[in-house]
Amino acid sequence: MSGVSTRDLPVPALARTGLLSWIATTDHKRIGIMYMVTAFAFFFVAGIMAMLIRAQLAQPNQSIVTSHTYSQLFTLHGTAMIFFFVVPFAFGLANFLVPLQIGAPDMAFPRLNAFTYWIFLLGALTVMSGAATNGGAAASGWFAYVPLSGIKISSGLGQDFWILGILMASISSILTSINLITTVFIYRAPGMTMWRIPIFTWEMVATALLVLMAFPALTADLGMLLIDRRFGGHFFDPAAGGSAVLYQHLFWFFGHPEVYIMILPYFGVVTEIVSTFSRKPVFGYVGMVLAAFAIAGLSMGVWAHHMFTTGAVSDPFFSAVSFLIAVPTGIKFFNWIGTMWRGSISLTTPMLFAVGFLLNFLNGGITGVMVASPPIDFHAEDSYFLVSHFHYVIGGGSLFAIFAALFFWFPKIFGVKLNEYWGKVCFAFEFIGFNLTFFPMYFLGVMGMPRRVYTYPNLPGWGSLNALATLGAAIMAVGVIIFVVNVIVSAIRRAPVPDDPWGGFTLEWATTSPPPAHNFDRLPPIRSERPVFDLRQSDLGSQRKR
Amino acid sequence: MKGRWIGSPGLATVFVVTLGLGGCGWASLPSGATSQAELMHRDWTVFTIAGLCVFAIVGGLIVGSPFVWRRRGEALPPQFRRNVPIEIITTVIPLIMIALLFVLTYRVESVVERLSPSPSTIVDVVGFRWSWRFQYSGTSVQVIGTPKQPPEMVIPLGRTTRINLESADVNHAFWVPGFLFKRDAIPGVHNSFDWHPDHLGVFVGRCAEFCGLEHAFMTFAVRVVPPDEFERWLRQHETRPTAYRQGPR
Repeated sequence: MSGVSTRDLPVPALARTGLLSWIATTDHKRIGIMYMVTAFAFFFVAGIMAMLIRAQLAQPNQSIVTSHTYSQLFTLHGTAMIFFFVVPFAFGLANFLVPLQIGAPDMAFPRLNAFTYWIFLLGALTVMSGAATNGGAAASGWFAYVPLSGIKISSGLGQDFWILGILMASISSILTSINLITTVFIYRAPGMTMWRIPIFTWEMVATALLVLMAFPALTADLGMLLIDRRFGGHFFDPAAGGSAVLYQHLFWFFGHPEVYIMILPYFGVVTEIVSTFSRKPVFGYVGMVLAAFAIAGLSMGVWAHHMFTTGAVSDPFFSAVSFLIAVPTGIKFFNWIGTMWRGSISLTTPMLFAVGFLLNFLNGGITGVMVASPPIDFHAEDSYFLVSHFHYVIGGGSLFAIFAALFFWFPKIFGVKLNEYWGKVCFAFEFIGFNLTFFPMYFLGVMGMPRRVYTYPNLPGWGSLNALATLGAAIMAVGVIIFVVNVIVSAIRRAPVPDDPWGGFTLEWATTSPPPAHNFDRLPPIRSERPVFDLRQSDLGSQRKR
Repeated sequence: MKGRWIGSPGLATVFVVTLGLGGCGWASLPSGATSQAELMHRDWTVFTIAGLCVFAIVGGLIVGSPFVWRRRGEALPPQFRRNVPIEIITTVIPLIMIALLFVLTYRVESVVERLSPSPSTIVDVVGFRWSWRFQYSGTSVQVIGTPKQPPEMVIPLGRTTRINLESADVNHAFWVPGFLFKRDAIPGVHNSFDWHPDHLGVFVGRCAEFCGLEHAFMTFAVRVVPPDEFERWLRQHETRPTAYRQGPR
C-alpha cells in the first residue's frame, strides 16, 4: 500500500482520549455509538412515560395523574419513541455498519455526520425541556393537529419548544440521509457492486431516499405552524381563509413515509440475522431490494388513509394504494421464510428476537390492511384498535429488531458478547409482555374505547382488559431491566469474544471486534453479497487440500 | 442448551393463543345497528377471517421453520438463492387477495358515503370543547350537553337521519361505536352523512379525536325510537327549546 494510511493522520492531542475525544469525534463508529446510546436513553424516558400511562389506565376512573399531565405524557411518549428512539437508532446503527458493510473507511462527510448527531441531541433536549416551561411540555399529541396546537389553545412555550426541537431533528435526518446515500454510491470498496451490498445497506438507501422525500413536508408544515403561532400567519386558520385540513395533508405526507422510515432499516436488520442463523444466503435478494423500493415508492401515495374520517378524502385511490403495499411486504415475508427454508437454524437470542419481530409485524401488518379499508377504518380510526395496530408495527416490529440488532452486533461494536441465556429470558419477557399489553387493546378498540382518554368508565370488560395491558407493560419493563443488567454484567466480565462469533456473512465480520479507527487492515476479495462466507469457504477448502 | 424452552415451544404457544383470541376479538365487535353498519360489519367479518387465515399460514411457517429446520450439525444446508415460480406465486396470491378485499371495500364505502336525496330528519351537530350541540333542522329543538351532562340525540327507527357535522373550536370526532361509524368535526369543514337505524336502543357516543383536557368526558348518547314516539318527542320539546338529558358515558 502506498501513501499515508488513515492511522497516521494527525489528531489533535486533546482529542485522542477521554470525553473530549468523543465530543470532537468524526469517526462514524463513535458517532454511531453516540446515536444508539442517546436513542436508548430516550427509550428509557419514553418507556417510563408509557409505564405512567399504563398505571393511570390500569383501572377505571383513576386519577394517578391529572388530565393535563396525561396529555403531556402521551405527547412526549410518542414524540420520543418516534423521533428520538426508533429513527435515530436506525441512523446510529447505519452510521456504524454501512461503511463497514461496503468496505469504506468512514462516511462520505464525517464532519457533517458529527453535526447531525449534535443537532439531533439539541432538538431532542429542546422538546423535552418544554416540560420546564410555564404551562408544561407540548400536550397536543405527536401529530399536533391544528387548531389544538395553535396559539389560542396551546399558548404555552412548550408547544414552540416541541416545534423547534422536531425541526432540528428533521434537519438532522435529512443531512444524515444525504451522507448515507453519498457514502453508499461513492465509497464502496473495489468489487462491491450495488448488487453485492448487504440488504441492511440497501434498506438504508431506501430509507434515506424516503427521508429526503418526506421530511421536507414536515419541516414546511411545522414552519407554517410556527409562523401561525408566533408571527401572525393564517395558513391553518379557516376564519382567515386558511385550512385546518391542509395541516393534516402535509403532516401525513411526511407521517406515512415516516412509518416506513421506522421499519425499512429493521427489515434490513432482520434479513441479515435470519440469513446468518439459517446459514443460507438471503432468498430472493433482488426481490428483497425491489420490494423495499416498491414499499418506499407506494408509501408516498397513501398519506390520506390517515384522514378517511375527515370526510375530505373519500377517493378510493388511497385505499387501493394502501392495500398494494401488502404485496411487496408479502414478498419480504415469503423471502424471509424462503431464507429459513431447509436451512440450519440456530435459535440464538438475535434470531429469537428476529422471529418475534416477524410474528408481531405480521400481526400489525394484517390489521394494517384492515384499517386501510375505509368501512373498517370508520370504526377503528382513533380507537384502541389503531393504538394496538401501530404498536404491533413499531413496538412489536422495530423495537424487537432493535433488540435483535443489539444482541447481534454488540460483540462487533464493543468486543463484548452479551449473555445468551439471559438474552433469551429477556426475549421471553418482552415477547409475552408485549402481546399481553397490546392484544387486549384490539378488543378495547372494537368495544369503543377511544385513544388519548386519560380515564374511562367501568364498562363490562374494560377494567380487566386494561389491567391485563398494564400487567403486560410491567412484564416488558422487567425484560428491559434484565437487558440492562445483562449489558452491565457482560461488560464487567468481558469474556473473550472472536471477531466473528456468529459466522457472519458481510464485511463487518472481516475486521476486528471492535474495529480499528480505519476499519480494515485488509479487505477480503468481494465476489458476492457474502464476502466473509466466501472467504471462510475458501479457507476451509485450502485446509482440506493441505 | 440452556434456555431451550424459550425457543420454538414458547413461540408456538403465543402464536396459537393469538390465533384463538383473534376470533374472540371479532366477537366483541358491536353488531351494527344501522343498515350502513350492517354492511360494514360484513366487511369486518370478511377481513377478520382473511386476516386469521393469513396469520395461520404465514405465522405457522415463521414459527414452524426454526423448529423443522433447526441446526443439527456442521454440514452446510443447500445454498439456494431463488425459486422464480414460487416467487411469482407468492406475489400473485396477495395481489388477488387485496383485489377482492378492495372490491368489498369499494362497494360498501360507496353505500356508506351515499347521501339520501330526502332524509326524514336532519340534525345539525356542532362539537365544542367539551360537549355537543344537536339542533333539529326546521324546528326549534336544540340539545346542548356538558362534560358532566352528556346530550342525547333521539332519532327515528327505520328512517334516514342526516347528520351535518361542524366544530366550533378544535378537531373532534363524532363516534357511535354501536353504529361502527365516526366522522371528524373540523373547523371550516362541513361534513354530512346518513344513518338508517334498524335497531331500537340507546347507543353511547364518544369524541374520538383528542381535543384537550376533558376529551375523555365528551360523550353523548343516540336513542333510536319508533317514528311515532320520535314525532311525539319532537313536539314535546318544541315548547322547551333547550333540553338537557343525562346520557350514559
